[in-house]
Amino acid sequence: MSAPKFIIIGNGPAGLEAAITLKEKAPDARLTIISRDPHESYRPKLLPDYIAGQIDRSALMARPFSWYDQIGARLRVGQTAVRLDLHAREVLLDHHERLAFDGLILAVGGQPRIPEPYWVFRDLMLPLKTMADADQWIDRLKDVDDVLIVGGDLTGFAVVRALLALNKKVRFVFGEEALWPTRPTPEIFRQAADRLIRRGVEVVPGKLRRIVRETDGALAVTTTEAQTSAGLVGAFFGLAPDVAFLAESGLAIERGVLVDEHLYAGFPGVYAAGDCAQVYHPQIRDYWVSIGYENARALGRIAALNLAGGLERVNVAAESIFDDDGIRVNTSWWMEFGS
Amino acid sequence: MNRIDLTIEICGLSGDGTIAAGGLLNEAMSRAGFSALAFDSYPAEIRGFGRCVTRSRFGFDRQIALENQTNLLISLDDEQSLSRLPFLAADAVVLFDNHPPSPVAEGKSIAGHARPAMSLFGAPFRDLAAAASGSAKGRNLAALGVLAGLLNLPVDAFRERIGKKFKSKGEKVAAGNIRSFDAGLEYVLKTYPDRLRPLPVPAAPAGQAEKVLWSGNVAIGEGALAAGLKNYFGYPITPATPIMEYLAARLPAKGGRVLQVEDEISAIGAVLGSFYTGARAMTATSGPGFALMTELITQAVSAESPAVIVDAQRGGPSTGLPTKTEQSDLLAAVFGGPGDTPRIVIAPTDVTECYHLTARAFPLAEKYQTPVIVLTDFYLDNRVENIERPSISADAVADALLKPAPDQAGSYHRYQVTPSGISPRALPGTPGFQHNITGLEHDERGVPDFSPGNHQKMSDKRDRKIQGALADLDPPEEYGDPGPLDVGVVAWGSTFGSALDAVQSARDQGLKVGCLKITALFPYHEDRIQAFMDRSKTILIPELNHSGQLNTLIGHLGRGRIVRLNQSTGIPLYPSTILGKIHELIGEDRS
Repeated sequence: MSAPKFIIIGNGPAGLEAAITLKEKAPDARLTIISRDPHESYRPKLLPDYIAGQIDRSALMARPFSWYDQIGARLRVGQTAVRLDLHAREVLLDHHERLAFDGLILAVGGQPRIPEPYWVFRDLMLPLKTMADADQWIDRLKDVDDVLIVGGDLTGFAVVRALLALNKKVRFVFGEEALWPTRPTPEIFRQAADRLIRRGVEVVPGKLRRIVRETDGALAVTTTEAQTSAGLVGAFFGLAPDVAFLAESGLAIERGVLVDEHLYAGFPGVYAAGDCAQVYHPQIRDYWVSIGYENARALGRIAALNLAGGLERVNVAAESIFDDDGIRVNTSWWMEFGS
Repeated sequence: MNRIDLTIEICGLSGDGTIAAGGLLNEAMSRAGFSALAFDSYPAEIRGFGRCVTRSRFGFDRQIALENQTNLLISLDDEQSLSRLPFLAADAVVLFDNHPPSPVAEGKSIAGHARPAMSLFGAPFRDLAAAASGSAKGRNLAALGVLAGLLNLPVDAFRERIGKKFKSKGEKVAAGNIRSFDAGLEYVLKTYPDRLRPLPVPAAPAGQAEKVLWSGNVAIGEGALAAGLKNYFGYPITPATPIMEYLAARLPAKGGRVLQVEDEISAIGAVLGSFYTGARAMTATSGPGFALMTELITQAVSAESPAVIVDAQRGGPSTGLPTKTEQSDLLAAVFGGPGDTPRIVIAPTDVTECYHLTARAFPLAEKYQTPVIVLTDFYLDNRVENIERPSISADAVADALLKPAPDQAGSYHRYQVTPSGISPRALPGTPGFQHNITGLEHDERGVPDFSPGNHQKMSDKRDRKIQGALADLDPPEEYGDPGPLDVGVVAWGSTFGSALDAVQSARDQGLKVGCLKITALFPYHEDRIQAFMDRSKTILIPELNHSGQLNTLIGHLGRGRIVRLNQSTGIPLYPSTILGKIHELIGEDRS
């Protein structure tokens, strides 16, 4: 019998951890990793530090290309899965190549989420998810002194810190979309807003209504309660699982791929991990997505362990705390509010 | 200004338009001001089979050789292109069709084999061309559009060349092909706005001489035309056929004739006949055809008849490797045939020299009444360079026939023994200058004479004559340090460019190396070659043959260590291979 062929779609924290684990637990397996990014895997949580100029590009990189050779894995960069055929057990790539698999880990992550009411302003807001986004931030910040942050996810807080380090004037529309997908209490909101104000951030009240580019290039921003302006508007509304390509696969999809507590997606050998997984919690009898780097890695490892024959459960204990200079948020997947 | 050194390769199946796309790329890049050197390789088989590859090296400085590594590959057929992966630079860019007619199995797409450090740019070449022109045939042009957009190349140069190339097929076809190009351009700008890699474009210096994009074969044809060629006789054979095709299109307009004869024996016979009457004539062939010509070449040596013969070498022996390159006819060109048959053998090293040496072959043949063999090879014949349009003075190609003095009428000796070995030659039909010519050994009158003294005398005469031709043959050219050398590279033909490229790189690295170019292969300038060899601790002779034929010819002049670098792969000898050998030799000396 030939060695099983495993595919991991995604080369972010979850996919990378899954690869490490699979080579450890199933060393004979033929492993292919598909990465949409055209470059090495990187640590997304360090992107704000990169923008701030506190680290250089090389420090962002998680693993060099040579590492994949060393572990005997085949890395396909700049390639995107566009369809999953669970009957044929094949992944179709964007360049029309079919890849067969015995086991599959979906670790496709998410795309910056823009709430539907703001879609019309999409082109006027800059997210931060990829290296290309970071480069764009660096480029744009050369000509901009004041930045407005809307939304307010974990990356957004880290970007605020980076902007302050760059001596930029920072305003923050800290509305109800903040901290998505967690649902913090009003008290948590208030505490977070206080922290921001104490750092020198101007908190703009209200909910985003409108963004207009003025003739001088500045952006005029209107909320339900105020008007302000900025040279640059950053959008931080969390990540939406990037699972549209799975719509016809037969997998259960809600916000992400619905998986059980073993990250099993309901088809033999198919698992999901990281930002794209919506994990079932038997006690609360509901699904929830996790956020954050450490959670993604933990899920990637569990998915790989189970694909390699294990029966591990996700750890429901709240073990992952995001702490950004006093703004503390529990990012464990089923906790609905910050600690 | 940034230094540009970019090798672009297009690979497809015969019929994909690979060679056409490569030609358009070279023309457009040349027009944009880049220096270019390109070489195509294609299958020996008929259309519909086999892999076609075009490789072009572009830069601001003059390009003298192709390198073995490609920086950017355009794959028009992934199954064919997979074989090119080992020749891609680690960080190469790969453009490929990302929407084949139906999904392909794993491993059939080049994307599945590209190394992670390579940059993939998929574009639906077929779909773009079909949508733009109604036919997927223009996929090669869509691919060029993608390339032009990616590198920010001057698109008008592409559009203009495409329009011109397809004009003969009608405005509709030309316009459709330009639309296919534009579709590729638009696609890449829209799809990969963050990944574009604009290439600096050279500024056109004021007063720049006119440049032409010529192959070696075109340059040979132009050289022959410049020399006043009257008659071309030939029989088709790769890689010499384009010379006949080129002349067939141009020579009649200049009052000359091109005749395709039944075989190479007829071709050389007709050349001898034409030249005998005073009309300049030429033939071009390759190894197998040259072998057939051999007997008549020696007849021309004996009868002291002028002839110009281009031997466009290809892989041998026999029919060998019809579409691959080799430098393995050297000894056949110099010595081939029965008896002692000294003749002139010259070998250009680049496209410009193809022009000049071919043009000069005619007066040499006339003056020295001998076959002159212009020895090229597939890599030189088929390579394309953009060069300043060459020209040659009328004096340099003037009629060099040494006619007998009128007072010799009635007592004319066709093979008069002279100090130079050159006998005045009367054209047939000149009253009072009737004479015999024969391949039999003969006396001064041309009458067969087999006596020992006569054969010795006439052999001396013929040898003296050819050795005297050195005065009209270019001496070897030296490149590099004038002082003592750790390694002196001696090269000829198409390999010289690679040798010089390697030596330049080695010198940039601080190594004491030099290079000697030899274009006169017989007779050759012993003193100059020996002087170069004497100041070289090690002499390196790189050649595209197995037996080291230049080393066999001139190696006896070397009084130091001679090292051969021979390659019999059918592909050019690349600078990196020679540079590697230089490093090895210097390393050995130092260890």
